[in-house]
Amino acid sequence: MPHIESAGDDLLSVRLDDVFEIQRVATRLRDAGDWIEVVPGIDSVVVQFDALSLAAPQARDLLQRSIRDLPDEFALPDAVVDIEVSYGGDDGPDLAAVCEQLGMTEQEFIGMHTGTEQVVDLVGFTPGFVYIGGLGERLAVPRRDTPRQLVPAGSVAVADGRTGIYALPSPGGWSLIGRTTHALFDAGADEPMSLEAGMRVRFIAAGSQ
Amino acid sequence: MTVLKPGLLTSVQAGPRRGMRHIGVPASGAADPLSLALANRLVGNAWDAPALELTAVGPSLRFDADYAIAIAGAPFDMQLNGAVCAAHRSFMVHPDDVLDIGSTAVGMRAYLAAAGGIESQHVLGSNSTYLPGRFGGFEGRALARGDVLAAAVPRSFTEIETPAEFRPPVASSWAVRTCASCETELLEHDARDALFSQKWIVDRRADRMGMRLDGPSLAVQSAGRMPSAAVFPGTVQCTEGGSPFLLGADAGTTGGYPRVAQVARCDRHLLGQMRPGDSLLLLERAVDDANRELAEKADYWQAWLPDMRDIL
Repeated sequence: MPHIESAGDDLLSVRLDDVFEIQRVATRLRDAGDWIEVVPGIDSVVVQFDALSLAAPQARDLLQRSIRDLPDEFALPDAVVDIEVSYGGDDGPDLAAVCEQLGMTEQEFIGMHTGTEQVVDLVGFTPGFVYIGGLGERLAVPRRDTPRQLVPAGSVAVADGRTGIYALPSPGGWSLIGRTTHALFDAGADEPMSLEAGMRVRFIAAGSQ
Repeated sequence: MTVLKPGLLTSVQAGPRRGMRHIGVPASGAADPLSLALANRLVGNAWDAPALELTAVGPSLRFDADYAIAIAGAPFDMQLNGAVCAAHRSFMVHPDDVLDIGSTAVGMRAYLAAAGGIESQHVLGSNSTYLPGRFGGFEGRALARGDVLAAAVPRSFTEIETPAEFRPPVASSWAVRTCASCETELLEHDARDALFSQKWIVDRRADRMGMRLDGPSLAVQSAGRMPSAAVFPGTVQCTEGGSPFLLGADAGTTGGYPRVAQVARCDRHLLGQMRPGDSLLLLERAVDDANRELAEKADYWQAWLPDMRDIL
């Protein structure tokens, strides 16, 4: 049984191992309709309950039972999405510094970043921000010491072994390596996010085709 | 109505966006939903009808038709056609009337409601403006000089006032009930004590996203980083250099800093009135006590605001 802990007076957090487990649990909990919010993280799912109709101990019991009774079968979306990125220069002002930290040339970095299929771990932070996992140790750099006040929309960034895309202008602490014109978020659409957790993504260097 | 002066930050706000945090869509909505509900109550609207959220310095508006309006929240200076006018009561305005809203000595926000609600765009489940994402409300942005807004022209109108016992005090020192969160135990012993006993000062950098709290630096294990996890309005994160950061209505949905506390639901509405320089105590509560105090607050307010269970 996964570990459940309190995240506040109306919030419970469940620790889970990987994107498959997180999406399996989060999707089912959301479908059940018992929770105000069901929000996945990288290694957890947090649910918000209505503390006026469900006291915390009852909410914890309900969550425990719901997770225990989850059906096993679940499939992540099988789409592979190509995302074209203009690497370096004004579009990716931190690429040179990232490469220096990693001890490689920009061409080597771009080769490795575009060379493998990566999986969307999480959508969150702000509308359209996606965390894409699977860069591996070789391309892992820490977040910047000082976050930028404003990161332009479409920025592609790296931190902690992940790639992130900023769909909207926002403050941000990741290192900017490039920029994409791929539309991630449309507030007017039925499905406002074009990427969802579990989808696979392939980065393509702009102008390489 | 025409905006003659926009004020510091005036935007259309209604109820929060719910059930969309998993795709990164924040709550947005009135930073002080109780004051929004009080203003809407006076003009006969649903508690979460779209209204104007005023911030620190209010707008000047010229009315182009008959409207029934009311204002609730921080005590802004207000003049209607040059005569002082009061909050917490509804009144009619007529074509060419000018409402001039100045600043407030205490508190941060007030809400101007109009019967029928301010006409605005409904996006992703709410009419609230999400300023960083530029959607909802009035063109997804704060009001600017020359903007023209509309509301329903009321057919009938009764002037009413908020009873004295339902006018929340607005102060410059605050105490909010707060529970431990997932990473509270990562705080070193002294830091945990400080978090729940220190008089924190609201930093100059305070907006709808959140506010930094100035005070002693909090020592936290794990080098202050963790895998991104869900955060909510009222979450206190321990950010770089050990400063607590208290998240507001527009805060993002996940974060990578330790979540060291969570302001309890019963007091989250107060965050919308805190202004730079105010002092803030985080009163530690067990979850059961916070749940009970939420029910007590909802019961108290229900006599004037029947939807109080949704407002909190």
